[in-house]
Amino acid sequence: MAEEALAKAGLHFDELNKIRVLEPEVAQQTGELKEECKDFLDKLSDFKKIVGTFIDVVDGVAQEVEKEKMKAIGSRNLLKAISKQREAQQQQLMALIAEKKMQLERLRIQHDALLKEEQGQTEFIEQFILQK
Amino acid sequence: MPTFLDHCPHSELVSCVGWTSPDEVYTSSDDHQILRWNLLNDDDSSVFTKLSDDTYPTDMHWYPRVGGGVGGASKKHTSSSDMFVLGTTDGKFLLISRTGRVEKSVEAHRGAVLTSRWSYTGSDLLTAGEDGQVKLWSSTGMLRFTLTQNTSPVYSIAWGPESDQVLYTSGRQLVIKPTQPNAKANMWKAHEGVILKVAWNPVNNLILSAGEDCKYKVWDCYSRLMYSSPFHDYPITSLAWSPDGDIFAVGSFNTLQLCDKSGWSHALEKPHTGSVFNLAWSSDGTQIAGACGNGQVIFAHVIDRRLEWQSFEVVLSGRKTINVRNVTNEAREKLEFRDRIIKISLCFQHLIVATSSQCYIYSVKNWNTPTIFDLKEGSVTLVVQAAKFFLLVDQSSVYVYSYEGRLTCTPRFTGMRCDILNYQTVSLSTDTVAIRDKVDEKAVHLFDLMTGKPLGDGKPFIHTMDIMEVALDQSGSASERRLAFVDKNRDLYLTQVRVYGSARKTVKLSTMIQSMAWNDTHNMLAALADGRFTVWYYPNCVYVDKDLLPRTIFSKDSSEFGKNPHLLSFIGKHITIRRAEGSLVTSGVSPYPALLHDHTGARQWDDAVRLCRFVKDETLWACVAAMAAYAKELETAEIAYAAIDEVDKVSFLQRIKDISVKDARNAEMLLFCGQAQDAEGVLLQVALVFRAIMLNIQLYNWDRALELAVKNRTHVDTVMAYRKKYLDKFDKTETHPQFLQYKDEITIDWEKIRTKMETEYQNEQERPSGRQ
Repeated sequence: MAEEALAKAGLHFDELNKIRVLEPEVAQQTGELKEECKDFLDKLSDFKKIVGTFIDVVDGVAQEVEKEKMKAIGSRNLLKAISKQREAQQQQLMALIAEKKMQLERLRIQHDALLKEEQGQTEFIEQFILQK
Repeated sequence: MPTFLDHCPHSELVSCVGWTSPDEVYTSSDDHQILRWNLLNDDDSSVFTKLSDDTYPTDMHWYPRVGGGVGGASKKHTSSSDMFVLGTTDGKFLLISRTGRVEKSVEAHRGAVLTSRWSYTGSDLLTAGEDGQVKLWSSTGMLRFTLTQNTSPVYSIAWGPESDQVLYTSGRQLVIKPTQPNAKANMWKAHEGVILKVAWNPVNNLILSAGEDCKYKVWDCYSRLMYSSPFHDYPITSLAWSPDGDIFAVGSFNTLQLCDKSGWSHALEKPHTGSVFNLAWSSDGTQIAGACGNGQVIFAHVIDRRLEWQSFEVVLSGRKTINVRNVTNEAREKLEFRDRIIKISLCFQHLIVATSSQCYIYSVKNWNTPTIFDLKEGSVTLVVQAAKFFLLVDQSSVYVYSYEGRLTCTPRFTGMRCDILNYQTVSLSTDTVAIRDKVDEKAVHLFDLMTGKPLGDGKPFIHTMDIMEVALDQSGSASERRLAFVDKNRDLYLTQVRVYGSARKTVKLSTMIQSMAWNDTHNMLAALADGRFTVWYYPNCVYVDKDLLPRTIFSKDSSEFGKNPHLLSFIGKHITIRRAEGSLVTSGVSPYPALLHDHTGARQWDDAVRLCRFVKDETLWACVAAMAAYAKELETAEIAYAAIDEVDKVSFLQRIKDISVKDARNAEMLLFCGQAQDAEGVLLQVALVFRAIMLNIQLYNWDRALELAVKNRTHVDTVMAYRKKYLDKFDKTETHPQFLQYKDEITIDWEKIRTKMETEYQNEQERPSGRQ
């Protein structure tokens, strides 16, 4: 009875017969909750740490990726440029070749003329010998 | 083929370049600097002056070196020029002195000044700008007048050879405008794109133009197209004639090309320079400097020049080295020089090498010990060789040296301009030098080599037309020297060089001549004319027997040499021809005429006749006929004329042979050669009056016959008798007043006349000098 009266006054006894403001069950649950909360906070900070490292790693990767990407773009441009450069080089070489071809043609004509003259002279010599 | 040295001290595009001496170059760039380059010290450059930061130069031109010219004038600028004009993008031109100070800055155009050029005399300055105006200024920068006003920018201008005409671009058109006001301009469409550059060479009078249609073209001064290049890959941004007008340089994007004056390309280089915006030749014509778009300055040297003479081949292999090769025994020589080689010439068994300070004379027999002498002025512009002498031309004088290196003479006349002499306007022979006048192009000055004095009365030979080419024959005696020349109508003439008493006889040989050359050892003349190749085996024939000339000619179709071939040389039995596209073609000429020349030159007439009998060629017979007639060798002439079926001439010669008096025979020979005047002169000189009268009677030259008869008081009746006979024959009556006068005084008695003539002939026989 006395317990009921106390309960009405908001006082309770726990199993160790200490006087409590809260009901022993509630108090116990509160304690438990407190424990759990602590656990939760620990876990949360753990998680944060893990996520931090993860972000770092991902950042690193991202940087790498970015670098590679730039490299790729660079090489792609270079490739394009090289083909253009090649074209320019080719054009230059073609011009030089055309020039050389013209020189060759000139020399060929000169050679032909010399051969013709040689032939003429040989004929002349033969004729000369025959006439003698 | 050029070699290159690139340097890149400018941080921006280089826009202009100019030479002061063959070793010093100035360049100016968009980095507002003007650099001076010393080519002697390994091409190092130093900052000459800095322009203000808003000055972007466009074009530079050094004040011309007004040197020598008129007979080695007293004030000779032997040093290099000391001022230049610089055009800028803000419409000003600056006159900058050699010390680097801006002497004057003149507001000249709205928009940029695109180009500025001094005249050759240095008295005028032309500028052209984006506003389409061309303005003429005094040398101190005072505006004289605005020459022209166009709707489009004038990108390039050039002075004519006499500094009295201006060539400028106007869009796709070229315009030549005389500087006198109100003179009519000559305008023609030249390119398919905007024309960017023009150049006009004073020596060969040819014009170059190039533009955005990626072509360059060569024009003559009458706007006739001489050559049009194939398409280049990029627009052509620069052009420059070499000072002697033999070659020109063309600049484009990553391209430098060296071309012959007839347009074909000698060499092409593809340096990594960006566009070549300006090109300039050094005054000695051996180096080019180019202003390049990427801030580089490019220097090129002309090497690989190749000369051939008989079995020798000479190649300019470097700036200071020459390789010599004898193709018959593969002997090779390498000649090294201390200074840059400026001119080489190989002919007549000698190689002449002119460097910037000395002249070397090598004999082809000995390459080890040349004769060397120092040159007064560095830059030799022309070397002409003959059998015993050679001629050097520099800025101020013409020198003739023997192959031992001895100065023989320095021919000069008033108004001589050495800078524009070339192979066409100077000719040298063993005893004579001929120089075409520049002021009066109709005149040719002839000098004796031994004395250096003008020949004869000292007056030049004057033709009726402007003369384009002169050439002296190379062998034979001095008194028989002949000058062949081509005039403006391209007609070929032959004239006598040394005449005694009488006027020079000038005879036309051919028309439509493209080019001509004398043989180096025998007096044969070769020419390309009107699609035919012609050799006159004995051009002197025109002074002996003009009718015979066509029969002493060898002629063949020249289509095998292509269009517009050019005759380069006629050495020994070979002619060398350059085709229009640049290839050298050789062709042989029959060796017999040369042999014949040798025989007749040594007066071996029997051998000459034997040779002709062996060859059985009518041309050769005709040659020997003319030669014998010229040498008054009657026997040979008779045989030769008989061989070519000239009956009338044979009988005439036989008649001459019967004359026993030598002088009379000579006179008859002159008559045979058609020189009646000279014949009469000879007869009168030895007092053979009767023959002189008879000669005039035979020529129906009645006035002169009667005049002689009356003057000498003899044979008046003879003249009258022959006159009467002539009149009776043609059934005419006497109308001549003088004959009418004597008609009454003299009675004609044929008997008496005949006896008188007999006695005359008798008397001739008895003359002391008469019998031979």
